[in-house]
Amino acid sequence: MATVNANQASKSVVTVEENSTQWQQTLKAAKGQSVYFYAWGGSKAVNEYLRWATREIAQQYRIRLIHVKVTDPSEPVSRLKAENGRSSAIDLMWVNGENFAYLKQQDFLLGNLWSDIPNSAFLAVDKLPITVDFGEPMDGFEVPWGIGQFNLITENSVYQQAQVSAKSLLQIAKHNPKKMTYPRPPEFHGTTFLKQLLVDLTDADSHLYQLATKQSQEELLPVLWQYLDQLHPHLWQQGKAFPSSAAEQLLLYQQKTLSMAVSFNPNQWLKEKSTQQISESSVRRYFTDGAITNSHNLAIPKSAPSPEAAKVVINFMLSEKAQKEKFTGVWGDPSVITSLFDEKATMAAHPELHSSWHVLIEDAWQQRYGG
Amino acid sequence: MAATIRRIGLASGWVLVSLISLLPILGIVVGLWPPEQIRFADIEPFLAYRGLSVSVLMTLFSAIFSTLISLYIAFMVFSQYHLSSRLQSFEKYLAPLLSLPHLAIALGLVFLFSDGSLFFVDSGLPRKGLPTLIIAIVIKEVPFFLLIFSAIGRQLPIKYWLLQGKALGYQDYRCWWFLVFPPLLKQSRLALLAATAYTLSVVDVSLLVGPNVPELFAVSVYRWQTSFAAGDQALAFWANALLLVLLAVSVLILYAHEKLAHAGCKALATKGSRFHIGIISPVFKAWLPMLGLLTAMMVVVFALWSFGFNLHRDNFDSFDSFDNFDSFALTQLTTTLWQDEWLFYALPLQNSLLIGLFAGLLGVAFALLALELQRQKGKYWPDYYWLLAIILPQLSMVLGWQIMHIWSQGGYHSGWIVLSHLPFTFAYAYLVLKGPYESVEPRYELLAASFGYSSWQSWWQVRFRLLLPAIFTAFAIAFSVSIAQYIPTLMIGAGRVMTITTEAVAIGTGSQQDLIALYVLLQSALPFMAFFVAALLARRFRGSMGGDNMGGDNMGGDDVRHY
Repeated sequence: MATVNANQASKSVVTVEENSTQWQQTLKAAKGQSVYFYAWGGSKAVNEYLRWATREIAQQYRIRLIHVKVTDPSEPVSRLKAENGRSSAIDLMWVNGENFAYLKQQDFLLGNLWSDIPNSAFLAVDKLPITVDFGEPMDGFEVPWGIGQFNLITENSVYQQAQVSAKSLLQIAKHNPKKMTYPRPPEFHGTTFLKQLLVDLTDADSHLYQLATKQSQEELLPVLWQYLDQLHPHLWQQGKAFPSSAAEQLLLYQQKTLSMAVSFNPNQWLKEKSTQQISESSVRRYFTDGAITNSHNLAIPKSAPSPEAAKVVINFMLSEKAQKEKFTGVWGDPSVITSLFDEKATMAAHPELHSSWHVLIEDAWQQRYGG
Repeated sequence: MAATIRRIGLASGWVLVSLISLLPILGIVVGLWPPEQIRFADIEPFLAYRGLSVSVLMTLFSAIFSTLISLYIAFMVFSQYHLSSRLQSFEKYLAPLLSLPHLAIALGLVFLFSDGSLFFVDSGLPRKGLPTLIIAIVIKEVPFFLLIFSAIGRQLPIKYWLLQGKALGYQDYRCWWFLVFPPLLKQSRLALLAATAYTLSVVDVSLLVGPNVPELFAVSVYRWQTSFAAGDQALAFWANALLLVLLAVSVLILYAHEKLAHAGCKALATKGSRFHIGIISPVFKAWLPMLGLLTAMMVVVFALWSFGFNLHRDNFDSFDSFDNFDSFALTQLTTTLWQDEWLFYALPLQNSLLIGLFAGLLGVAFALLALELQRQKGKYWPDYYWLLAIILPQLSMVLGWQIMHIWSQGGYHSGWIVLSHLPFTFAYAYLVLKGPYESVEPRYELLAASFGYSSWQSWWQVRFRLLLPAIFTAFAIAFSVSIAQYIPTLMIGAGRVMTITTEAVAIGTGSQQDLIALYVLLQSALPFMAFFVAALLARRFRGSMGGDNMGGDNMGGDDVRHY
C-alpha cells in the first residue's frame, strides 16, 4: 500500500558523494554562514525540534540556523515575489503544494538539490510518494523532509472502530450531534477531509487521479454534496460555522466541545497525549481507503545569500540522527529515509488526488456551503 | 537672519511631516499596483463569489455598530465618572483593560463564556458569530474611547458648561448630552475612524470568533492575498479595491452620524422634550468594575494555562466541588514553561521595548510637529489624511513598503522596523493629541507673550506643559501600537528582528494552550506598564481645564475658573 505514487524512474537517486570535492567545498563555504529558515512557528513541537537542530548544526558545521517563525506558509512566497530575483532574505523555506508549484513555475527556486545533497541518496522514494508534490514533480527544486498522513484524533468511546468511512461518520454524527466538524475549506485539512469522503463515496474512482474533466466532475461530485447535505445538520454549530484551522479544532477538542480533531501528523495523537494536551482516551482513526499521504519539503530560493549553508542544513535534516530525533522526539513526524522507514509508524497510504480536484472541491464547497 | 532660519526650520518641518504622512499612500500605490495583467473581466468571478454581499454587509455593520456602541457606552461611563469627584482619577484603572490585545480578549471571552467554556454554563454566546465579534471589539474599544475622552476632557471647560446648564435648570445628565456630547463627539472623530477601520480589516479576531458562513470580508481579502493559486491574486486586487470603497463609505457614515447627533441634541435641547436616557446611566457606573473583573478573570485563566493547568486532563472530569478543583489546580501548577522559555523570550521582549520606545517617542514628536505647523498656518488638513496609515488596508500598504525596502537594499536592522512602525504610532499620537492641541486655552499663551516669552519659549513652557497629560496618553497608545505590530515587523524585518509580537502571533496559530497563554501575558506586559505609568504621570500634570489639583507643579491646576 505504501508504495503508491512512487515514481519508478527516480527510484535510485544519484547524488554527490559525502567525501567528494564538490561537497567538501560546499562544507567549507558554509562555515560561518547564517541560514534564515522560514517555517511555520505555531507548533511548539516543531519549534523545539528546530531549537535542537540549531544547536546540533552550530556544533557540527559552525552554521547559525535562525528559525523565522511565520504564521502562514505564503509569507516567504510573497516575499520572493516582492524581491523578484534580488538578493533574498530567505535561505531556506518549508514548502509544499500550490506554493511550491507557483515558486517552481516562477523559477524562484534553486535546482539540482537532490543531486547536490549527499543524504538525498537515502530518501525512501520506493516506499513513499515523495517525488511528486500535489501533482507537481519535485525535479530537484525541493527535498522531502517529512510525511503528512491525514488522520482523525478522536474520543475512543465515540469512534470505536479502527477505521472510519463516510457511512460510519454519518452514523456517529447522528448519535452524537454537534460533536463533529472539519476546518472550513479552503483550509488545507478541511479540503483533505472532503477529499477522503469523496474517495470513500466513489470507491476511489480512477478519474480522481486524473485531470478533472467536466464529465468526471458531474459524475463524481454530486454524491459528495448529497452526503454533506445529510451530514451538516448534525455537525458542530449545525454546519453554520466551522473552525478556521486544524489548530483551532484541536483546541475545541481539548475543551471537549468536539469529539474529533484532524491532523496530518500520524503521531500527533501520541505526542499530544504524552504532554497531556489531550485526554488519555484519545485514539487515532483514519479512513478505510487509507490516509491521504503527502510530503512536506525544504527548498532554497535561487537568490538565497547562503545557499551552501542551506544545503548543509538540508543534508543534516536528512541525516539519520536528525530524522530519528524528528520521529522519536517531541514532534513525531515520520522519517523520509530508507533506514528509518517503519511500516508501523505510518498508516496505509492513499495517493493524493490529481491537483485539479483540490481547487474544484474548494470552489464548489464555497458556492454551496460558504455563503 | 532669524527669519531665514525660522523659514528653513518650518520648511524642513513640513518636509519631514509630509514624508511620514505620505508613506501610507506610497505603500498602498506600490503594494496595490496591478502585478500581472489584471483585466476588468476578472471582476466577474469576484462578484459571483458566493456570500460576497452578505459578507460585505456584515463586515460594514459590525465595524460601524461596534464603534458607535462603544462610543455611547464610553460616553455614559465617562459622564458617570466625571460627575463624581471621588471617581475622577479612573484613568489608571484603564491600564490593564487597555493592555490585553484584541485577540487575547476574544480568546478569553470564548474560553470563559462559550460552549465548552471554563464554567460549563451555556451563556448563549456562540463560539463564532457576529455577536461574539462585536462584544469582543466593544470590550476593547470602550477603554480606548475613555482614554481619548479623558485626554480631550482636560482641555474642555466641561465644569463651566455644566454649571451654566445647571443655572438654566437642566439636570446633570441633560447637560451632559446637550452640552458636552456634541463637542466631545466632534473631537473624537479620529478615534471613531480608527476604531471602524480596525474592525473593518481585522483578520485574527475575525478568524477566531467571527462568523464564517459566509466569512467576514477581511478574512476573504487576506486569504486571496496570501494565495498564489491561479486567479486568487486577481480576486485579491478587486477585493482590496472594494475594501478601500468600504473604508470611504464608513468615513461618510461616521460623518453623517456626527451631523445627525448634533442635530438631534440641538432639537432635543430646544424642544425640551422628555429625554429619558439619563435614568439608566447609573448602570454605566458599574461598567468599569465589571470590565475590570472580566479582565482579571481572563488574566487568571491565561496565567493558569501558562502554569500548566489544563482543563482536559482526564481527572478533571471527576470534579464535583470547588475544593477538589483547588487542590487539583495547586498541585498541578508549575513554572517550568516560564523558566524554559525565558531564554527565548528575553531578547524579543527587549527588542519590542526598544522599538516601541523609539517609534512611540518619534510618533508623538512628529504628531506635535504636524499640529504645530498646521496651527501656525492657521489651517488644518482633513483628518483622514493624517490617519491614512490606520485607515488603509495594512497588508497591501506594508507589501508596498516591503517592495520599496527591497529596492533600497538597506539591510534589515531595527531602524527600519522603527520606521515601519512610525506611520502607525504617528497616526495614533495624532488622533489623541489633535483635540487637546486645538482646545488649549489660548489665554495662557497670550499671557506668556505679554511677559516677553519668545514664541518658542511660550510653546515649550506653556503649551507643551499644558499638553503633558495628553502627551503621556499619546505616548502610551503609540508605544502599545508599536508593540502590537506584526505585519510590518515581519515583512520589513525579514525575521532578523524578532519581537514579542512576532513570536506571540506565530505561536497563536498553533494549539498549544500553555504557550499561547504565556505569550499573551508577555505581550500585554509592556503596554500595561506604559499605560499605568502614563496614567500616574498624567495625574501629576493637569491640562488647561483639569479639575481637581493633584500634584504640586501643575500649571493649569487651579480649581474651577470663573469667566
